[in-house]
Amino acid sequence: MYTEISRRQFLARGGKAALGAGLAGSLLAGCGGGGGGGQVTYWSNLEGSGPQDYFNKNIEKPFEKANKGTDLKVTFQPPEEMDRIVRTALQGGEGPDVIMTPGPAYAQEYIDANLFAELDEYSDQYKWDDKLLGWAIDLGRYEDKLYSIPYQLQTMLLYYNKTLLEDKGMQPPKSRDELESMAEELQGEGITPFAAGIGDDPAAIEWFPTVFWNHYSGPDALYQALTGEIPFSDPVFVEAIELFNNYVQKGWFGGSREQFFSNGIDAVHVDLGDGNAAMNVEGSWFLAEIDGFFKDSGDDWDWAPLPPLRRGIPAELYELGLGSTISVNTRAQDADGAAAFIDYLNANKKRAAQWMAAVPSAFNAPLPFSESDFPASMDQRVARQLAALSEATGKGNFGYTAWTFWPSKSDVYIQDESQKVLTGDITAAEFCQGLDEQFAKDRKEGTVPKIIEPGTA
Amino acid sequence: MDVDQTTVAQEAVKQAPRGGLRRRRRLTAWLFMVPLLVINVLVILGPSVATIYYSLTDWAGIGPAEFVGLQNYRDLLADGDFWMAMWHNVIWTVLFLTVPIFMGLLGAFLLSQIKRFQMFFRIVYFVPYIVASVVNAALWQNILDPTRGIGSALASIGIPFLDGVAFFGSERLALPSVAFVNIWAWWGFVLLLFLTALQSVDHELYEAARMDGAGRWQQFLNVTLPGIRPTFVFVVLLSIINSLLVFDYVYIITRGGPAGASEVVGTLMWKEAFERFEAGYAAAMGLGLSFVSGLIVLIFVFLRRRGWEV
Repeated sequence: MYTEISRRQFLARGGKAALGAGLAGSLLAGCGGGGGGGQVTYWSNLEGSGPQDYFNKNIEKPFEKANKGTDLKVTFQPPEEMDRIVRTALQGGEGPDVIMTPGPAYAQEYIDANLFAELDEYSDQYKWDDKLLGWAIDLGRYEDKLYSIPYQLQTMLLYYNKTLLEDKGMQPPKSRDELESMAEELQGEGITPFAAGIGDDPAAIEWFPTVFWNHYSGPDALYQALTGEIPFSDPVFVEAIELFNNYVQKGWFGGSREQFFSNGIDAVHVDLGDGNAAMNVEGSWFLAEIDGFFKDSGDDWDWAPLPPLRRGIPAELYELGLGSTISVNTRAQDADGAAAFIDYLNANKKRAAQWMAAVPSAFNAPLPFSESDFPASMDQRVARQLAALSEATGKGNFGYTAWTFWPSKSDVYIQDESQKVLTGDITAAEFCQGLDEQFAKDRKEGTVPKIIEPGTA
Repeated sequence: MDVDQTTVAQEAVKQAPRGGLRRRRRLTAWLFMVPLLVINVLVILGPSVATIYYSLTDWAGIGPAEFVGLQNYRDLLADGDFWMAMWHNVIWTVLFLTVPIFMGLLGAFLLSQIKRFQMFFRIVYFVPYIVASVVNAALWQNILDPTRGIGSALASIGIPFLDGVAFFGSERLALPSVAFVNIWAWWGFVLLLFLTALQSVDHELYEAARMDGAGRWQQFLNVTLPGIRPTFVFVVLLSIINSLLVFDYVYIITRGGPAGASEVVGTLMWKEAFERFEAGYAAAMGLGLSFVSGLIVLIFVFLRRRGWEV
């Protein structure tokens, strides 16, 4: 099954990544190592004795076997506390040698504090430029120096209850008109068009401005705004937020505005699986657990690219996101060993594909995949998604997720203030104006991550 | 040397070892205090001083801090989100000064009237207080779920007035709903405090009041309340301070949402420190809150010195 998690779910589920790493370890056993022959410390947020034992058996030991003399010391930290524990430890001059962050915006804070080592030398040594996706590795560069490696690629998808749509004689929408007519028809029959809710994680509202800006405003406009060429107060961004607000007020997302604010993520998934809702806009991380929500109903599911919401937007467009990054601590005793461990986890296509097939919800390597790269045991819907993402981004059909390409303060602004548009406290125009002001401050402070241009992947 | 002088000298000789003994006892007492003092310096005084320092800096929570003087405090005074969160803390405080105290008093009074099953009810009411807040929160999130909770269950038996009500998703209901969950967990503790205080009130006072023709209500006003006043004031003080410092239930259930409708200073501070990377500003916010808490304690100390039995 497919493996990917969001930055948002990083703390809660990042431990599963370590489980995935465990499998990779077993796959990589016997490889030649490049460790420096010392101790490498790695903090995992893996939960539960079973997964932790599995990790120890399948990643720790095989890595050490492949890198003679390198002692990989793994410590399991509580997932919810992981980022804060890492932050506190680093501030106190401690912390692991291999550091996982919840995404580039977080990584940049650590880089600004001189806590991450430069990785260019290791990139040359392990040929990461050749192995990893160019745009993905570019995201780890700050001022032309490489500091972090993407660990979990993500995108936004349209999931749907296939059985339900087939019963209604419907197909997933391919345009705004199709989407709106479907939503009206479904709502008229008492079915929520889109399962949605941010009750247990209000910050997850950022998924929606992300989707509406990419599929209404378009990646070119976003690129221009993110590079400071046009303001976020431009009507093309305001209209996208108005459209999102309009859909929420109609009850298309979650059933009603108040339910959108109230529904927890599990309730959202249950609604989709039970057929109370027809579709769900969520990140690719949901592929890891979607099966479980369809067991009770026996319905089938599938995914489709999110449709364009305005003319001129590509029909198949994937927002790019990074759920986490890994870096080497500047204070690492054995930086060579830490870099070897990163290479071991990330950089081999065949092994990564096997790992991604075997371990749900752990990993999505930043590697150029095609569908044939994945083993037959992998769910074909997942393999199709991974290949489609790789191929579309290869053609330059990619967009930008808020949690990856916006600086953290602008991202938090989006999370907090977009809620106020839905409650009517502010207008979409005021929201976009405020974002523009916050983004201008972030640009001035130099906290905007590297923005890759559409068509350059 | 006359007799009196001899006596004084003998007394002085007797006193000398007593004084030494007293000093030794004091020294021993202080030695026993040393571990606690060291721990307090390490875990309270040290971080407090560090917080004061960081509140005067522009600090992301990692890396070097840049001294900015009182800028964070100036920003705080002009921060609408902070004052809105503070207002929510005030609402929360009002709720906690009324609902659980009334329920606690009433419950304690009723429990004091029964002998059988009193311990059973004590335990039942107290259990939510000792259950982890995350468990209580999850329980009530499910009960108050707009589509799967009590509202839809009642609707299915013909009582539809709560059907579809999103208690935690409504800007109007979110704050009182979260407060309700916290009150549910808290009031049993208040009840036990009051019950213990009630049991210490001299029963002869009630008999005397009855002989003077006082009814139940007059007994409550003139005997019970004065008798439990120290406990009452303690509960009031505890409620105010807890309300100002509230974090867990809001964070677990709504994270301050929707659209900041249930944001309190505690959750706003968390966001500043760990999401916006404004740890210096968050430290200033925390000190602002501590200042208000300290002010309230000082008021109680002042009242005590003025002769109030608090």
